[in-house]
Amino acid sequence: MYKITLNSVVRKILYGLIFWVCAISVSAQKGGGGQLTGSFQANANFFIRDSLIGAANTPQYDRQKYGAEAWLNLNYQNWGFDFGLRYDLFNNSNLLNPTDSYTAQGIGAWYIRKQIDKLGLQVGYIYDQIGSGIIFRAFEERPLLIDNALVGGRLTYDLSENWQVKAFTGQQKQQFDRYDSILKGLNIEGFLLLGDSTSRWSIAPGLGIVNRTLDDASMNSLVATLNTYTERDTFTPKYNTYAFSLYNTLSAGPITWYAEAAYKTKDNLNDPFGRFERDSTVVIGDKYFLAPGSVLYSSLSYAASGLGISIEAKRTENFSFRIRPQAQLNRGLVGFLPPMTRVNTYRLTSRYNAATQELGEWAWQLDARYTTPDRNWSFYLNRSHIDDLQGGKLYREWYSEVIYKHKKLWTLTAGLQFQTYNQERYEVKPGVPLLQTKTPYLDFLYKFTRRKSIRLELQAMLVGDDAAVNSRQDYGNWLFGLVELSLAPRWVFAVSDMYNLAPGRNSPELDGKKKGLHYPRLDVYYTLRANRFSLSYIKQVEGVVCTGGICRLEPAFSGLRFSVTTNF
Amino acid sequence: MKHHPFLLIVILLILIACEEIPPEIRPAKDGETPIETPVSEQKRQVLIEEFSGVRCVNCPAGSDAIQVLLDIYGPQLVPVNIHAGFFAEPYPESRYDLQTQAGYGILEYLGQPLGFPTAVINRKQFPGEDNLQLTQRSWAGRIAEELLEAPTVKIDIRKDFAVTDRLLLVNVDLYFEADIAAEDVRLSVYITENGIEDFQLTPEGKVGNYEHLHVLREVLTDVRGDRLTETIRAGTMLNRRFTIVLPEAWRAENCEIVALVHQDGDSKKVLQAHRSSVE
Repeated sequence: MYKITLNSVVRKILYGLIFWVCAISVSAQKGGGGQLTGSFQANANFFIRDSLIGAANTPQYDRQKYGAEAWLNLNYQNWGFDFGLRYDLFNNSNLLNPTDSYTAQGIGAWYIRKQIDKLGLQVGYIYDQIGSGIIFRAFEERPLLIDNALVGGRLTYDLSENWQVKAFTGQQKQQFDRYDSILKGLNIEGFLLLGDSTSRWSIAPGLGIVNRTLDDASMNSLVATLNTYTERDTFTPKYNTYAFSLYNTLSAGPITWYAEAAYKTKDNLNDPFGRFERDSTVVIGDKYFLAPGSVLYSSLSYAASGLGISIEAKRTENFSFRIRPQAQLNRGLVGFLPPMTRVNTYRLTSRYNAATQELGEWAWQLDARYTTPDRNWSFYLNRSHIDDLQGGKLYREWYSEVIYKHKKLWTLTAGLQFQTYNQERYEVKPGVPLLQTKTPYLDFLYKFTRRKSIRLELQAMLVGDDAAVNSRQDYGNWLFGLVELSLAPRWVFAVSDMYNLAPGRNSPELDGKKKGLHYPRLDVYYTLRANRFSLSYIKQVEGVVCTGGICRLEPAFSGLRFSVTTNF
Repeated sequence: MKHHPFLLIVILLILIACEEIPPEIRPAKDGETPIETPVSEQKRQVLIEEFSGVRCVNCPAGSDAIQVLLDIYGPQLVPVNIHAGFFAEPYPESRYDLQTQAGYGILEYLGQPLGFPTAVINRKQFPGEDNLQLTQRSWAGRIAEELLEAPTVKIDIRKDFAVTDRLLLVNVDLYFEADIAAEDVRLSVYITENGIEDFQLTPEGKVGNYEHLHVLREVLTDVRGDRLTETIRAGTMLNRRFTIVLPEAWRAENCEIVALVHQDGDSKKVLQAHRSSVE
């Protein structure tokens, strides 16, 4: 009852705030001295059923036919205050759950911020992080509908010109509601120049502490589950978990070294591959356990004229930091563990991705780029290496790329990627061998004029054999081609096709035979000053993505997609 | 500046020093399972509709968790295993197709899950959950939560099964204990079957003799339930009759009748569920 009353009061305050912001913005635009800025983003999907590729059996394909999302951001500054308001809209959207439909709309975020001398204060929806985000990161990732804003208050205080302390408390946002657990944190960070003002040596150290207090309902749910365990498997759960992080960035001329050590006190964790032994049988599945966690992360980079090298390493042990132990996949994340693989952008090189393993991972990555002094040639090399803590092989990637630019007239990019991907672990596909891929690609850009250009892409993915079933692994071999015509500054047209050249064990079947299907795509992009529109016809291959023992269907997509973004 | 790290260390020590009083854990022990009671003494009984599939590698762990809960709650837990969704397509070597049209109808009615294992508990939208579908981590807690309520209706299932023609007559008696304000109250009746041996994907690979439990075979009412059109007050007693000829492929001795009284509309919550063996 209390919550309902509070929510209605909050709603009234918010609507009052909207009215006020609108009113003052009109007044401001008439010369009141304030500044109103904003942005708008909207997507609309038109679903066209195609059961052969698996674009079927969701509410959108079966009956709704249309889904949309939109976000309107407004920011207003005046009298030393910052005000922000975001309106979120979801109509039959498949962003929250790719196989279901989500409809809701309302105030997605708001904030009021004020700086009073050395003291800064903010209430509302707060996006922030400590260090690299390992112990705390409140962020928004719209393509996955992650919105982990902290709903609460934050104080900052400038201890000196280069030192600041920050304290915050609140609850984590959950769509248009909040999780009941409470978060609070403290962070101090600063900057020190080593030597005189001309020195090229500096450090930027920081220390962070975050505490999560589990709400009673989540604890009761956890206790109910633990009561189903035998005495051997059960434990006394914790309401409070504390995470600490100590980090520093050392800069020495062209060298930058970042190091972070994080520790988490005992927390109620879940092992999706937990073992229950009952009556001489073993069942593998979700199992809660209690353990402290740690992350050691470091990156060392060197950047000089034409040459850039970086090496990163990370060791993770039992560092799943969630708002409640029942949260899974991308829900309820308090911290963010930086991935240790490169972000691939080409269609086929980005097909298999190594999801961060929160419970145990040992990973390193090397990245090197060299550009010749005449800037005609560039060479790039990346190596990723991920094992579990027992030495089991999870992921390997070799990625090489050569770029040649010919008199600003044309550019040729050629590359080759090798991957070893533990599909059994990442996608929970028992008994499948380590997936091996070889993916060569070419990207050719030709400029007819300064504004008119054409770009061609050709990629092939060759996978290994699955001897147990006498077939190629997963979906088998792929071929991808793209032609993109750019008429700057307004128009871009692209047409592409992804073809399952030699189907594998998981390719769709038609009349009892594996079928190599085409997945074409047409795109038109139009840009007019700050407004960008796109219209696409898409057929996209489906896939099952399993993270930590929970499988999620990323369904095939068949249909039209329209999007618009603008800033004002 | 030099005092600030000192202050931080003090705060850190204060935080760590905060001892908490832990919750009480009472691990399940053998021999505590409740037993079947007469309808007049019937307690709150909770429905768990698990969505599954023979290609779902994690689903056996979910089904096992339900068996553990059944050991604890006995007749107070009413399980139904519905083969529908992305992983439910049988293998070419499967002996049975455990999918049913009704199962897909229920899945569409209750909403799609984010992942598997997944189950809907009492068709209730619990606070803090995205939709009706719950991942395995939440099942025990939500069941315990639901069991705290008193039943507003008690269900009795009387049946008569003729072995010769395999005709099953089902009488469902509903004894309402409270006025029901909801406009749309419905009755759904399912037939489920235990002990079906067939292929199932497990973490150890494809297993040919996996025992499928509580598998939904048929729905005797409309998939969304048959509406109870009478005015429902405390003391109201209603009866509904159903008949079905059990197909030869179903082993009658393994079959159960499941009845549930539930709402329809914005809230689909189940007021009470009950199960009874066919034979």
